[in-house]
Amino acid sequence: MPEQNPLPHPDRRKPVARPLLAALVTAVLVGGLWFWVTTTTPHDARLPVAIAGGVTGLLLCFAVFLAVYRADAVHTSEVSVRRAWEDTQQIRGAAEHMRGELARLLDQVVPALVQKLREASSAESALAEIGQPPDELHQRILRTLATEIAVGERRRAAAMAACANAAGRVQALSTSMLADLREMENRSSEDMLGDLMKVDHSTAQAGRLADSIAVLTGARSGRRWTKPIKMESILRGAMGRIGAYQRVRVHSTSTTAIAGYAAEDVMHALAELMDNATKFSAPSEEVHVYVEDLHNGTVITIEDGGLGMKPQALARAELAVSPTEPLDLTMLSGTRLGLAVVGVLSRKHHLHVFFRPSSRGGIGVVMRIPNQLITQPRLEPLPEAIPQRRPVAVGAPAAVAALEAPTLTATDSRTDGRTDTAPGEPLELPQRTRGQTLQSAQPARHVAEPSLTERPRGDAGSRFGAFQQSRTRRSIEAVEPAEPSWPEHNDA
Amino acid sequence: MSRRLLDDEDPDRLYTVTGGRSRTDAIALDLVTLIVSESEPAPGMQSEHVRILRMCRRPVAVVEISAELAMPVSVVKILLADLLDTGRVSARHPVSGAAGSSLPSGDFLRKVLVGLHNL
Repeated sequence: MPEQNPLPHPDRRKPVARPLLAALVTAVLVGGLWFWVTTTTPHDARLPVAIAGGVTGLLLCFAVFLAVYRADAVHTSEVSVRRAWEDTQQIRGAAEHMRGELARLLDQVVPALVQKLREASSAESALAEIGQPPDELHQRILRTLATEIAVGERRRAAAMAACANAAGRVQALSTSMLADLREMENRSSEDMLGDLMKVDHSTAQAGRLADSIAVLTGARSGRRWTKPIKMESILRGAMGRIGAYQRVRVHSTSTTAIAGYAAEDVMHALAELMDNATKFSAPSEEVHVYVEDLHNGTVITIEDGGLGMKPQALARAELAVSPTEPLDLTMLSGTRLGLAVVGVLSRKHHLHVFFRPSSRGGIGVVMRIPNQLITQPRLEPLPEAIPQRRPVAVGAPAAVAALEAPTLTATDSRTDGRTDTAPGEPLELPQRTRGQTLQSAQPARHVAEPSLTERPRGDAGSRFGAFQQSRTRRSIEAVEPAEPSWPEHNDA
Repeated sequence: MSRRLLDDEDPDRLYTVTGGRSRTDAIALDLVTLIVSESEPAPGMQSEHVRILRMCRRPVAVVEISAELAMPVSVVKILLADLLDTGRVSARHPVSGAAGSSLPSGDFLRKVLVGLHNL
């Protein structure tokens, strides 16, 4: 660049100066020559020779002038062409450099910036961490981008938090409503029961919807159960949350239970799958649910007799419940939240969900619950205790035997159809005292699965406790006398 | 207490237990009808049915079943109606008819009343 400036000046002078100089030199030379020629010719031929010499000299001068002028012009244009080419090269280099910078900005800087902003850092701190590009325009682009994305992210986070909060409140409300409704159902007359059940059903469905929103917004679902929930209750809990639960037929002999912390989520996922099955099959069709305990978990199959899914829909469904793909909220279509919810829940608890054609014509959804969520249900108070206490209440002659040795008769009924160890047991049973039994009963219920031989000890206490509690809840006067008489005879 | 209540709660709703039914008109069961099981529980049965069958190896009143299952009497009646329909339990009504015929006559009772007043 610096050498370009001095050059144009000689160039501009040259077109006139150099040809003139050349013409002058030519004129001098030719003039001299013709002058010599003229002087050497005889006098009579001098005039024509001088004229011819002058004319040719002039013509020659003009020709030389033109030739030099043209040559100079050609030279000048060559130089300018070369210079223009060099300029072009330089500009092209600069453009390439800019292009590279821009590509780096787009491929590395912007994704890193977006990543930082997604991780909830502010626009300023994200820009500072990324480092500023050298170009000022790029800096401006980056700043605008960062500000816009940060605003968008904040808006998204605020909307999610608001949704999660609202869903949480609805969850809490529906949980307490369900508890109240259960209480009312227990006290209600036969006429009211049907209506209460309807309200109960609607509330359970509303609760499921709130759970779905909570799950999609990243909040925790529903409630935590403090005990393992047995499979039957899991399935019924799931059924109870869908509209057409009466079309669901459960075929289960499973005696396992789901660990309390995961029970609600498993129930919710099953409810969504059952809901899909009932919604996408004819209202007259039943949906069949099969439960199977395998060595690597429990498999629950939900089969409907609907139309099935087109390959595209199937691919979408499989993507939604895929264990590797994270939840993509942009894939949500307003009305179909179910599979997205199932996807989130199954990723959380490593449930495996598969789709396959059903022999009934529709789709069979297979959900495998891994072994770590499977446990044994807590011991339920076995109900045989009642008949032994009944004679006490009624005061029938048979009661005498029971009064004298209540522990013995209790043992008899417990071992009914199970073991023949009854004669050995009365020896150890009288060691229990009143306080100890109730005290030990509560911890005993937290033990996962005592063996069969351990059962009687924990059972008597929890049975007694359950009976006592249920009786006080229902306040049945008929059995009231049994209460004081039991400890009396236990002490005796 | 609250822990105990939480522990006792179950996720299944009553309408799922009865399959949506809230009343049964078929059988007249009252609170003191005695129920006796006629068979052992079969695998795959509803857990409430299993518990009723176990409980009723000796006669148990409907109200006691209700207390033991912690369910309203009307729900228990629906469950019992299912079992009665399949013949797995039988119901024995308290002997009111036979007892009525052997009751002393009205005149006799009146005499007793008068006698008591005179005391």
